[in-house]
Amino acid sequence: MTIYAVEGLCVSAGGQPLVSDIGFTIGRGECVALVGASGSGKSLTCLAPFGLLPLPVAGSARLRGRELIGMSPPSLRHARGHDAGFIFQQPLTALTPHLKVGRQLAEAWRQAGKGRPRRTDLVALLDRVGLDHVDERLDQYPHRLSGGQRQRVAIAAAIAHDPALLVADEPTSALDATLRAAMLDLLGRLREGGLALLLVSHDLPSVARQADRIVVLEAGRVIESGAASTVLRTPRNAYTRALIEAAPHLSEPPPLLPPVGPPLLTAEGVCVSFPRPGRRRGRVQAVADATLAVHAGEGLAIVGGSGSGKSTLARAIARLGPIDAGQVAWAGRTLPARGRMGRGDRHLMQPVFQDPLASLDPMWRVRDIVAEPLRHLRPGLSPIARAEAVAAALGDVEMDSALADRYPATLSGGQAQRVAIARAIVTQPKLLLLDEATSGLDVLVASRIVSLIARLQHERGLAILFVTHDLALARRLCARIAVMAAGRIVETGAMESVIARPAHPVTRALVVASQ
Amino acid sequence: MRALLLRRLATAVPTLAAVVLLSFLLMRLAPGGPFDGELAMDPATRAALVHAYGLDLPLPAQMLRYVGGLARGDFGPSLVYRDFTVTDLIASGLPVSLTLGGLALTLAVMLGISAGLIAATRAGGRTDRILMFAMTLLTAVPTFVTGPALVLLFALALGWAPVSGWAGGDPAHLALPVIALALPVAGAIGKLTRAGLAATLRQDHIRSAHARGLSPSRVLLVHALRPALVPVASYLGPAAAGMLTGAVVIETVFALPGLGRHFVQGALNRDYPLVLGVVILYAALILLFNLLADLLYGWLDPRMRG
Repeated sequence: MTIYAVEGLCVSAGGQPLVSDIGFTIGRGECVALVGASGSGKSLTCLAPFGLLPLPVAGSARLRGRELIGMSPPSLRHARGHDAGFIFQQPLTALTPHLKVGRQLAEAWRQAGKGRPRRTDLVALLDRVGLDHVDERLDQYPHRLSGGQRQRVAIAAAIAHDPALLVADEPTSALDATLRAAMLDLLGRLREGGLALLLVSHDLPSVARQADRIVVLEAGRVIESGAASTVLRTPRNAYTRALIEAAPHLSEPPPLLPPVGPPLLTAEGVCVSFPRPGRRRGRVQAVADATLAVHAGEGLAIVGGSGSGKSTLARAIARLGPIDAGQVAWAGRTLPARGRMGRGDRHLMQPVFQDPLASLDPMWRVRDIVAEPLRHLRPGLSPIARAEAVAAALGDVEMDSALADRYPATLSGGQAQRVAIARAIVTQPKLLLLDEATSGLDVLVASRIVSLIARLQHERGLAILFVTHDLALARRLCARIAVMAAGRIVETGAMESVIARPAHPVTRALVVASQ
Repeated sequence: MRALLLRRLATAVPTLAAVVLLSFLLMRLAPGGPFDGELAMDPATRAALVHAYGLDLPLPAQMLRYVGGLARGDFGPSLVYRDFTVTDLIASGLPVSLTLGGLALTLAVMLGISAGLIAATRAGGRTDRILMFAMTLLTAVPTFVTGPALVLLFALALGWAPVSGWAGGDPAHLALPVIALALPVAGAIGKLTRAGLAATLRQDHIRSAHARGLSPSRVLLVHALRPALVPVASYLGPAAAGMLTGAVVIETVFALPGLGRHFVQGALNRDYPLVLGVVILYAALILLFNLLADLLYGWLDPRMRG
């Protein structure tokens, strides 16, 4: 029985077609995955027919036989509240911050005219999405929950009214590898009750396991569709192949990494703690007794799940974050505390962060953003030499010089991350700190950014400290790995041997999730 | 929540002490004294007066005497209104000011939030632009213009309300001063609400709420309004204290026997205890309203409860 059928769907903005002539059908209990890079129109395709985007839609989209296109806004609202559920990418912000979990679930429940839910109904609902301590969760505010827990609550709110169709727009992109696998399993289990699933993702291999059929979109058009296993194994289209190959995989042969020099940065017994949130007393030990070393030209990956303390550790040893105890030394010389880092030390290591748009000042032009570290760390440089260095850095990250006068808001995610990398390498650092620098990007863009960094690593003998939850991606740049869990380094060693013979359960889970 | 309350109260005490100390010293540093009138005073009378009020004592001793009185709830005698203590003057003026300010505050909050809601739902449209222009105008026009303008229109031309006076808190007498006092604050609240809502309505959780099929008014009132009011709350703390204690201009325009009048007259007359008394009351109210604003934050956005 067909639940949702899309035919000849077109969405346009200002007369320009954004997606055109899209068609697919989803039956009861089936899962269809819409796959494509950022900007391919996959979110438009899944949200516009339901009136969730203020854009003109043409064609046909029938939910349980009722045509959505041309429906009045109240009827569309009724359709969303009764027959369809939605989950989105950002689990941290998907829930209303000032309403308790239970109240939001009850609201979604009552929306479909099912009356006031009993507490046991809500408990059962949260059980269904695999949340623990369910009874307690109902009375908590969303900010008390972790990202994975919040995504489960968001799913519970989306299925509270027993919809026929669940639309999941990049539901796992913001989650780490272990959570991603668990979330896809959960979505799969929900289908057992007959729920039809429309899954949107840029990560073809990870959704291929869950989906019955895959529809690949490029630039607003369907370029390939078919059974998931067929598309994954024998893609007919070059773009589909690029999507599949862009996602790094542990079965690839290990890359050739540049030779390693003497120890550059050593950290010994580093501890970092923060005040316990919501309490007056007590501190959370974010990093405990971490010891590691990075050699010149070497890539070291700090890998772990969300909340394992990997970013805190990396920031502490790059002297960007606080440190309670322990020592950080640069080529044998102990580095001063964060506030007293001199220009001479600071330009040696430069960071690149996860969200490129958030780390660039929206009011500055690209050229000024890249020039800023030079202005502070190399004040002696003449304006002409500075402009040359900026142009060279932008060239190094393969940015069109025409973009130098643009503002960050007009750049794509990949371009913005290139600007952030240019800003980091413009001072000729010896060490690059990549703090989840590719996590917010789609697979194709992330893959290009990693290739770019690999080139810089080879050309400049740049050492890299790569903080990530993605083991397969880390392997492309790093020969050594430190696995973190609950603030401690639980395993270190050569990348290939750790992947082949993971000793710690956390490492094993990461390796399994990355396969 | 209780920890926050205790912490705030603990910091309020030294703050208040600093206010007392500084305003005491500043009053004494200002040139002139309470008995420097236009008419020359007999030196003996003057000396007797100065002695009677303890103004011949060294400054630290005067201060001790004053603080000792404060501890017993005694703000001292007024140096100009000879038959009254400062406590009497405050007790007569405060109810008038509180009534006026409380009503104006309520009106301003209701008007401002409604205008902000209406403008935000029609963002970019004509209603939005007209409302925002009106709000800007309201904040820009001072009360000494709106007050007389309201009197000209509603009291003199239309005869709907009396021109001025208190008349024991008669509603008809209160209407115009309350409106005049509320309008600029309503304008500011309207603009802050509109801006807060515009930011909140762009957030992800609003899209999720729409996706759940909730009605637009429910999304606006239940999911968007509360976090959008955080900037309003921070503005309301000091604004409320100001409205309740010293609607100086309005009280003058409408000849209302409130506290604001005492404040101005006290300063002009160098009536040290009266000015000090009003300043301390004002400081205490500001501290109180900032505390209430902090509690309001916690309700508006639970993440701020720490």
